[in-house]
Amino acid sequence: MGVDRWFLIISTVLAAIAGVRGLLVLSHGRKSPWTVYWMIGVLLCQIGYLMVRGEMRGACPLRSIAEISVFLAWSLTVFYLLVGPVYQISLLGVFTAPVVVIFQGFALLPGKMDSTPERVLNTTIWGETHAAVSVLAYGALALAAVAGVMFLVLDRQLKEHHLKGGLFRFLPPVRELLVSLERLLWLGMFLLTIGLVAGILMPHESEGAWKHVLIATGVWISYILLMVVKRVRGITGRRFALGAVALFVLSLGVFAFV
Amino acid sequence: MELVCLGLNHKTAPVEVRERFAVGNTKLGEASQDLLKMAGASEGVVVSTCNRTEFYLAAESAPVAMQRLEQSLAEKVHGHEEPFYRHEKAEAARHLCKVVSGLDSMLLGETEIFGQVKQAYHAAHAAGTTGPILNKLFQKVFSVGKKVRTQTSIQEGSTSIGNVAVELAEKIFGHLKDSEVMVLGAGEISRLTAQALVSRGAKSIIVANRTHDRAVELAAEMNGRAVRFDDWLGVLKDVDVVISSTGAPHTIIHRAEVESVRRARKYRPLFLIDIAVPRDIDHSVGEIEEVYLYDIDALDQMAGEAKSRRLQQIIECEKIIEAELWKLL
Repeated sequence: MGVDRWFLIISTVLAAIAGVRGLLVLSHGRKSPWTVYWMIGVLLCQIGYLMVRGEMRGACPLRSIAEISVFLAWSLTVFYLLVGPVYQISLLGVFTAPVVVIFQGFALLPGKMDSTPERVLNTTIWGETHAAVSVLAYGALALAAVAGVMFLVLDRQLKEHHLKGGLFRFLPPVRELLVSLERLLWLGMFLLTIGLVAGILMPHESEGAWKHVLIATGVWISYILLMVVKRVRGITGRRFALGAVALFVLSLGVFAFV
Repeated sequence: MELVCLGLNHKTAPVEVRERFAVGNTKLGEASQDLLKMAGASEGVVVSTCNRTEFYLAAESAPVAMQRLEQSLAEKVHGHEEPFYRHEKAEAARHLCKVVSGLDSMLLGETEIFGQVKQAYHAAHAAGTTGPILNKLFQKVFSVGKKVRTQTSIQEGSTSIGNVAVELAEKIFGHLKDSEVMVLGAGEISRLTAQALVSRGAKSIIVANRTHDRAVELAAEMNGRAVRFDDWLGVLKDVDVVISSTGAPHTIIHRAEVESVRRARKYRPLFLIDIAVPRDIDHSVGEIEEVYLYDIDALDQMAGEAKSRRLQQIIECEKIIEAELWKLL
């Protein structure tokens, strides 16, 4: 088994520990101060994986669905560690860790990751920019979806007066979650716009490549619509959060055409 | 050297007695110096809050110091039942730990007492009335108090309706400095609840009452503004929190009215607190997505649950105190 896979396995195990331990501590009415450190460990192993794969490829490791999944998980972890302090950091980590486990667990499925990846000979600046920036954008959009889930949990607890337990106590306030959700969406959209423009400008050798750009454009338009409706007309927090979660899940379809 | 504590509090003395012993914050150092003279002790600290006054002494003989102090204070309790409690040696240290941890407070687990005892100690220290015994004791007691508060849930949850409302408002809006509050009806509970929100930084208060003069009076009290009762719906689009307690025999806020301002509010969260009996707000208003509706029963239940959670924590707190005292003594 290659070093890249070991890095990925360790990273996934650390993310699982962060999530499970965070939830266990939360169920005892406390907040784990260690989640952020587990997640730093996750990030370091992800970087290790991406460096090894980048070396093997001789290019940005975004050539297979497994690599994209890991890059996405890395991007999500980076944004969590960057914006975490805005929220109550360890709790966002508790919500983020399972998503990281899902993405990386998918990459670890048998047959998903080539142990001797093909070396990339022809790279273009537009192609590399498109891949890297788009996946980075998806990291921000994924974290927005995580914030959306946190909002939906808190909203339900407040509506139904179920206000006991560590989860309620440590979730950030409704308004802060919505503000953070909106900011993450704008950040994701900014990056996605750059990725999309680069995607249009890069050379397209197959029909699948155009389909990929077309779907990415569809995703971009959907997010813009959600943001404009929120800004201009207004939308309830629940619908805004549901929109962010649903769009993120649907937008993963883009990778089917990689 | 022996440790002595003589004190009175809300459990042992009525307010008319407690007020005779109350010492202002600026006089605490001076009071500690007087204490040394009265009791003939080598070290002394006077702790005084609205609910208690306590004298901590380090003296060669605890019974002698106690007797001299009681004789000096006898005049102040003349005509009333014996209001004092007395603790010596380890029991005095245990009592101080409980006081600092909020276990002896009227509102179990309250946090203010920690700062008040600290202030009393610093005043005595500055006045030169503390020495090795009381310095060691108070330093240890502060670390015990911190431990109790961080390792147990003794100060968690709100135990009054006003504080529960504030806690919920903060869970919805975070810092209240950007939140506007409308008070419908100028009753006592709505006044207290609004005051609790203002004390936590609510941006502005708008009061509407059937008797407009009363609304003006209450608004002035809270640096807010009054509006005519019939105009409350016009204000609803701007506010984040509504406290309703009108005393009307029927509901006054209905779903259709709240629905009519949703667009203008851009579907922002709205926190409705209905503390009226019979209720002022139709329960179907709570079905609107962005509305969080709480009536007096829900708030009261939350306050009750917090109280019982705190009561359950007493044993845990006492375990920590005992373990720490064992290290000290």
